[in-house]
Amino acid sequence: MPIPVKPEQSTITTCAYCGVGCGFKAETSGGQIVRMTPWKEGKANHGHSCVKGRFAFDYYRHPDRVRAPMIRASIDDPWREVSWDEAFAYAAGELRRIQETHGSGSVGAVSSSRCTNEEIYLMQKFARVGLRNNNIDNCSRICHSPTQFGLSATLGAGAASQHFDSILQSDVILVVGANPTEGHPVFGSMMKRSVRRGAKLLVVDPRRTETVDSPHCQASVHLALRPGTNVLVLDSIAHVVVTERLYDEAFVRARCDWDDFELWMSQVGDARYSPDVVGPEAGLDPDDIRDLARRYAAGPNSTIYYGLGVTEHSQGSTGVMCLGNLAMACGMIGREGVGVNPLRGQGNVQGGSCLGSWPHMFTGYRFVTDAATRAVFENEWKIELDGEPGLRLPNMFDAAVAGSFKGIYIQGEDPVQSDPNRHHVEAALRNMECVIVQDLYETETTKFAHVLLPGSSSLEKNGTFTNAERRVSMVRKIVEPVAGLEDWEITVGMINAMGYELKYDHPSEVLDEIARTSPAYSGMSFDLIERVGSVQWPCNTAAPEGTEVLHTVTFPRGKGSFMLTEYVPTKERVDDRFPLLLTTGRILSQYNAGTQTRRTANNAWYDEDVLDISADDAAQRGLHDGDRVRVVSRYGETELGITVSGRVHPGVVYTTFHFAHTMVNAVTSDLNDWATNCPEYKVTAVEVTKVTS
Amino acid sequence: MTVIDPARLVEMANQIGDFFAPYPEQRRVEGVRNHLRNYWDPRMRSDLLAYVADGHEAELLPHVLAATQLLQTEADGRSAYAGPPRFES
Repeated sequence: MPIPVKPEQSTITTCAYCGVGCGFKAETSGGQIVRMTPWKEGKANHGHSCVKGRFAFDYYRHPDRVRAPMIRASIDDPWREVSWDEAFAYAAGELRRIQETHGSGSVGAVSSSRCTNEEIYLMQKFARVGLRNNNIDNCSRICHSPTQFGLSATLGAGAASQHFDSILQSDVILVVGANPTEGHPVFGSMMKRSVRRGAKLLVVDPRRTETVDSPHCQASVHLALRPGTNVLVLDSIAHVVVTERLYDEAFVRARCDWDDFELWMSQVGDARYSPDVVGPEAGLDPDDIRDLARRYAAGPNSTIYYGLGVTEHSQGSTGVMCLGNLAMACGMIGREGVGVNPLRGQGNVQGGSCLGSWPHMFTGYRFVTDAATRAVFENEWKIELDGEPGLRLPNMFDAAVAGSFKGIYIQGEDPVQSDPNRHHVEAALRNMECVIVQDLYETETTKFAHVLLPGSSSLEKNGTFTNAERRVSMVRKIVEPVAGLEDWEITVGMINAMGYELKYDHPSEVLDEIARTSPAYSGMSFDLIERVGSVQWPCNTAAPEGTEVLHTVTFPRGKGSFMLTEYVPTKERVDDRFPLLLTTGRILSQYNAGTQTRRTANNAWYDEDVLDISADDAAQRGLHDGDRVRVVSRYGETELGITVSGRVHPGVVYTTFHFAHTMVNAVTSDLNDWATNCPEYKVTAVEVTKVTS
Repeated sequence: MTVIDPARLVEMANQIGDFFAPYPEQRRVEGVRNHLRNYWDPRMRSDLLAYVADGHEAELLPHVLAATQLLQTEADGRSAYAGPPRFES
């Protein structure tokens, strides 16, 4: 047995893999990372970790890393290595040339939730002062943008109301469209701990996941609803709350807009949302809907956690509003043990939402159309800003296909693999005259790039992440970036090359600027985070060391708003040609598009996306465990191996999306959320046939 | 040239209209108007208006059509803001 390497140095940092944001001690020897040990003082993880944060760190020194900037005039040309200065000058020159030819709005940028708060902030600054437009988006567009919209509309803040430890004071835990034991395993462990202490677990999910049934974790009620019926079922739960008068009238009268509450009651109280009507349409026993509603309303402390199973629908924002409405109606908001909490996918999705990488909003969720907000940034940046919303990422691709959008700067994202309708994204990128990609590796997207800027991993830079409980934690440089620059330095280089002079000596100066311009971060600084370990926003004079629970006295707008949440069925329907509904999700050992984890030994646990199919559906098609099948939808097709599984009901199939060659996004639909354009990844009608050759 | 295919704009606008449909009439129309005003690139708005003016009114839901008419008649839609809330704390 090999003797473990004795580490020479240990540095506290934050895991970038999921929205839990675990604290780790990164231990190094000879300038290389030899071990990642969970940090016991980490307030998000209390010394726990999962197999991604603990073991999947070798990706940073994988031979595939891009180690020098590269450019090429055509995507058919070979890459040419150049200096950083030449890459910046070439990229900026191309963007300026395109703007002179096709107009200011013909170029844009997208930031990454794998990057730090400071880097995300700088990307939106790049668009606003460098491109002089608001064509800036972030990757939460395709995951949790409905959270920002739906929770802002109801509760007034697009973020989790609680800290993670709050779940230990819950009597009832409602999990909707999430599988924390796989997707957010350290939080999942805390959830199980709460269940072992007596909390009752209610789950709304099409699949019988580990959250529903595993050792130490059994759901009291599981609504295995048909994919696409979230809003219908959540409205039916609200129907029970309203018609059985289970709501907390005193709370609603004191804290919420009563007129809107009455309007909402008249909608969800209608007979069309009765469990007896909804149950058959959603594939549920009406009594289970009633049981869940009664248990949630009874509390006394009931909390909601949800994931992409809520947001990634054509009514994603409406689904989030349903959860905000339900919590307010039952008085389950504003104290320990209750609340509404999104489980964020990537390490800094919350930061991606907070830091102004939106085409319509600055930091702190303030509209670009608001002159007073613009004045704050115009004063800070000494430049006049565009007062009109820009294009969202899906609309940038739409515009590129239409011929009006010609250049993009993509930070740490691989939209060809991860965005909806792969063929549409490829056509859009092929239509552009300059695609600039900043990434760790060559990806599906870099095949369409003209400039490749070697990015730095979270182990190679300094900055902060904001996790799913609004906790801002330090990201520290453990090893030197392979190409010499941290991501924030690359974006500063791009801003300067665009002609706007800018200089920071350290990312702490960027956080200071964020604090000067963003009320929720106004008390935040590297010094404070170093001193207290981590800080949850809002952090300001009223809460100098941050805020654990939101909405304790009032909502940000004063009163909470009940939004009407009429069910509008998705246009994606099964028929004789496509009789099964495909839904997607994640596995414990891999992470999102797999860019990092696929380049580690974690592949030993899971090295291929697999399709889960019920025994009935498999038998009807003559399929057996391990067979290869062709999965065909109205949008495209792919091939997968199958597992005959008791986790999905007949009529539903499920797969992960971790491997580029699987091309799951060639199959999924291009329908999207009405409010945010978040794609409907969770509902695609397909047929599955055996591959015979 | 339009910034995006007009059929896509109509589809998006009607989806927004579906959400606001259950609201009382004035809020229904203003809700759509505010969403288009605060979330859509101005080129998308103007392309939609031009497409509708070109004889395609029937492709929009009635309250979405009314919202586009508000956008045209109100020189300063921003002052009439009443859409999804801002986070100001």
